[in-house]
Amino acid sequence: MFKRLFSCITALGLVIGLVPPVQAAETILTLTSNGEIQTFDRAALEALGTETVETTTIWTEGLQTFVGVSLARLVQEIGVKEGKLLATAINDYTVEIPLSDAVEAGPILALKLNGAEMSVRDKGPLWVIYPYDANADYRTEVIYSRSIWQLDRIEVVQ
Amino acid sequence: MASTHVKRAKSGQTFLVLAGLVVVMAIAFLTWNVRNEIEELSSASSDNVQWSLSQSEVEFQEFSGRIRVGADLAGIRRRFDIFYSRINTVSKAQVFEELREDDEFRTTLQNIQNWLDTTVPYIDASDVELTNQIPRLAALVQDIRPDVRTLSNSGLKIFAQNADRQRADVATTLTELALALAALISALGLAVLYLFRLNKKLRRQERSQRQTATRMNTVINTSLDGVIISDDRGHIVEFSPAAEEIFGQRASDVIGHELGAIIVPDHMRAGHDAGMERMRNGGEKRVVGKGRVQLEAKRADGSIFPVELAVQSAVTEDGGIFIAFLRDITQQKADEAELVDARDKAIAGEQSRSEFLATMSHEIRTPLNGLLGNLSLLRDTNLNGKQDTYIRNMETSGRLLLSHVSDVLDITRYDSGKVSANLEPMNVSDLLQDIIDSQISMASNQETTLDWGWDGPAQHWITSDSDRLQHVLLNLIGNAVKFTKRGRVSVTVTWHNDEITFEIEDTGAGIPDDLLDRIFDDFVTGNSAYDREVGGTGLGLSIAKRFVKVLDGEIMVASELGLGSTFRVVVPAKAAPSATKQENLIERRAVIAPLRILVVEDNEINRFVVREMLQADGHEVEEAHDGQQGVDIAAVEKFDLILMDISMPVLDGRSATRQIRQGNGPSSKARIVALTANAMPSEREDFIAQGMNDVLTKPLRKSDLQMVLGHKEHEPLRGATALVDHAHTLETLEVVGAENYPKLLARYSAEVEHFIAWLQSGTRLDRNDIAAEAHKISGNAAIFGATGFREVLVTIEQSAKSGEDAKVMSAIATLPDIWKRRGVSETLCMRLSPCGFDGSFIEPFGV
Repeated sequence: MFKRLFSCITALGLVIGLVPPVQAAETILTLTSNGEIQTFDRAALEALGTETVETTTIWTEGLQTFVGVSLARLVQEIGVKEGKLLATAINDYTVEIPLSDAVEAGPILALKLNGAEMSVRDKGPLWVIYPYDANADYRTEVIYSRSIWQLDRIEVVQ
Repeated sequence: MASTHVKRAKSGQTFLVLAGLVVVMAIAFLTWNVRNEIEELSSASSDNVQWSLSQSEVEFQEFSGRIRVGADLAGIRRRFDIFYSRINTVSKAQVFEELREDDEFRTTLQNIQNWLDTTVPYIDASDVELTNQIPRLAALVQDIRPDVRTLSNSGLKIFAQNADRQRADVATTLTELALALAALISALGLAVLYLFRLNKKLRRQERSQRQTATRMNTVINTSLDGVIISDDRGHIVEFSPAAEEIFGQRASDVIGHELGAIIVPDHMRAGHDAGMERMRNGGEKRVVGKGRVQLEAKRADGSIFPVELAVQSAVTEDGGIFIAFLRDITQQKADEAELVDARDKAIAGEQSRSEFLATMSHEIRTPLNGLLGNLSLLRDTNLNGKQDTYIRNMETSGRLLLSHVSDVLDITRYDSGKVSANLEPMNVSDLLQDIIDSQISMASNQETTLDWGWDGPAQHWITSDSDRLQHVLLNLIGNAVKFTKRGRVSVTVTWHNDEITFEIEDTGAGIPDDLLDRIFDDFVTGNSAYDREVGGTGLGLSIAKRFVKVLDGEIMVASELGLGSTFRVVVPAKAAPSATKQENLIERRAVIAPLRILVVEDNEINRFVVREMLQADGHEVEEAHDGQQGVDIAAVEKFDLILMDISMPVLDGRSATRQIRQGNGPSSKARIVALTANAMPSEREDFIAQGMNDVLTKPLRKSDLQMVLGHKEHEPLRGATALVDHAHTLETLEVVGAENYPKLLARYSAEVEHFIAWLQSGTRLDRNDIAAEAHKISGNAAIFGATGFREVLVTIEQSAKSGEDAKVMSAIATLPDIWKRRGVSETLCMRLSPCGFDGSFIEPFGV
């Protein structure tokens, strides 16, 4: 009976596009550095401290509010100084993000869009967002290509 | 023309600037355009749109590939979500906005979206349900596959179109840019061309300006006048070499200095500075542009000298300038002063000469008059024959001297402008006849015929100055006769258009050409041979010329040596009404009651002569030695007559007369008669105006004196046929000489005696014979001053011609008596010419 109810709730959650809180422990990012693998769930990432970026994007309509972990903070967390990041999405799309992009007021790994967590259908769970409006340098093809969504893996390479 | 040039150049520049601006703006605009295009190309606004689209098909394949029985449900769901996300992105992302505008794309996209909406419930269903619906899903996937394919392809097509359009835009913009650049280059080329031409023109102008400047410099440097140019503050800009020389300054030292300090004398500085200040303020220009002005200037050494200068102003780009041309006129001034001085001296010399001549003439005349007067008195005393001859000779010489002195005095008077014409009616025929008469015997002596006549209608009465005319004609006719031997002298008179012309033609020796030119000059005489023969002062013709001039006429001469000469005198003369001939000759010597007479005369001899003449007639004479004495005596004594000399010491005759007339003394109403040596008609009027009743001329003649004593008004000497013409006789004497005169007279006497005897012979005489003989005798009578005698002869002649026998007979009857008396007087006449002094031969005729 209990199990049935759970299933119903889960189904309902899926239907309404919400990630059920029970999946909080689910790994949403796998970080590989020097053969060392770190995994982060949503909480772990949020624990690193979040930043808010308000900007428009070429993929959305109107001003969007993104909340996520800054790349700089993440890089600091893993303690790498050199090399580059290979970011890969759920569909195995991979882009290269140089470490030099990991700066203050730079890109973030967005966890929430307009206060809500992002499903895969909404380019979740993670979306690399640069503050496009704040800096013209971020409104380039290269930066747009680095703005990978449905991100789930990052590998640090030399 | 220069301003149009400048204007054209300016408009050209403006055009160029504007054209350049337009081109630059166009280029800027195009460049901006190109930059935009490039930015758009490089801009990331599109992400990798095309890739995203094709990725949607890939993701669809990934999804569709998993739709099979027994497949991993999570994988299916994940793949669906990814595809869903992709389509979501394509539907919403602004980078696909453009694509969405395409109808086909939009329809396709809508189909897919609808499909997704249809499919979602299957995916989100439970695992069991999903598993059950797999076949259904597979069918659905097959349904939508073509649309997904179309979507990805249509994107490709549209992007290709867009890319084409963008390329075309870029190409167009680049073409426009190229055109704009071409235009800019053309404009630049034009500008270069324009500048090149401008430069060429400027160089040409510069060259011509340089030439002009060179010319100007040459002009300034070679000008004999100093040239100084200053700016409007008075600072010297140019200082020519001539100016350097004039002012003793060097151009290099003075250029840039203040003009006033350099050349203006210290005492004129203030005025100069004020003038400059005034002109700077646009005030009146007193020297500038006023032509030549004479001022003083200062040399380097401070000396002052006169300059003549002309200043002109001009306006240049650097402001106003003054150009002065200056000339040192020190020498000119000195020359002028010298000339003025010389002229003053000459005038003074001329004046003193005239004064000297006038004084001398007067001084000579006074004693000469005394001399002649005394001779006249001496003649009345008992003399033997020898003494008689001596006196006659003395008198002849005296008269001649008097005539010379009169000539000189005439000239002096004329030259000092004191001579004027006394125009009155006169009978020109009578005048000529008298002159001819006076010259006829001289002519016959030379075996020369002398005649006169009118050419054209006769105009006897004209208005002229008979004294002057007589003087002139007598001189010319006398000369002609004098210089013509065995020839002919004829005088022709013409009156036409209020002008009378006398032509005196002779067949004499003629006048040499060199003499002809100056024959009317003073003191010109013919050659010495003739001079000796005929004598003369050489003043006759020059006086004649002067008198003709006084009459407003002209005198001319033409002559051919050896053939003769012709003198022509043309004088304006209006016709005058004929006047009755004044029968002056009838004046007779009335018995005059003894009068009390006051003689006011400073010259003792003259006083003596007058007194003797008056006392001889039984008058009582009182004397005064000057005007003042005369006034004093007249104030206390009563006189019937006062004879008043004019020029006297202490008080002259005019003033004395005035005082006597105003004095209310016993003699204030007495007749006062002027006694003068120079009786000009104008003076005569003046004397009358001063209160005198009459005028007597010196030398005093008894007849004149008697006339004045016996009558209230004395007729002027001229025209009195009873009186022998002084001039005729003198001329005769002068011409024939004192030695010949008696011989001539003797011959004439014989002729007359013969004529009278013939008339008295009692034979029946033919009237024509009488007329002819009377004419012959009368012609010569005038020469000897026997004018009265001649009158009787003329009467006989005219009466005989007109057949008035009674008149002829009565005239003939008086003739012997006249001649007898005349015979006596004739003798005297020879000694004391002119005849008729005592008028004794006149009296019988007059009675």
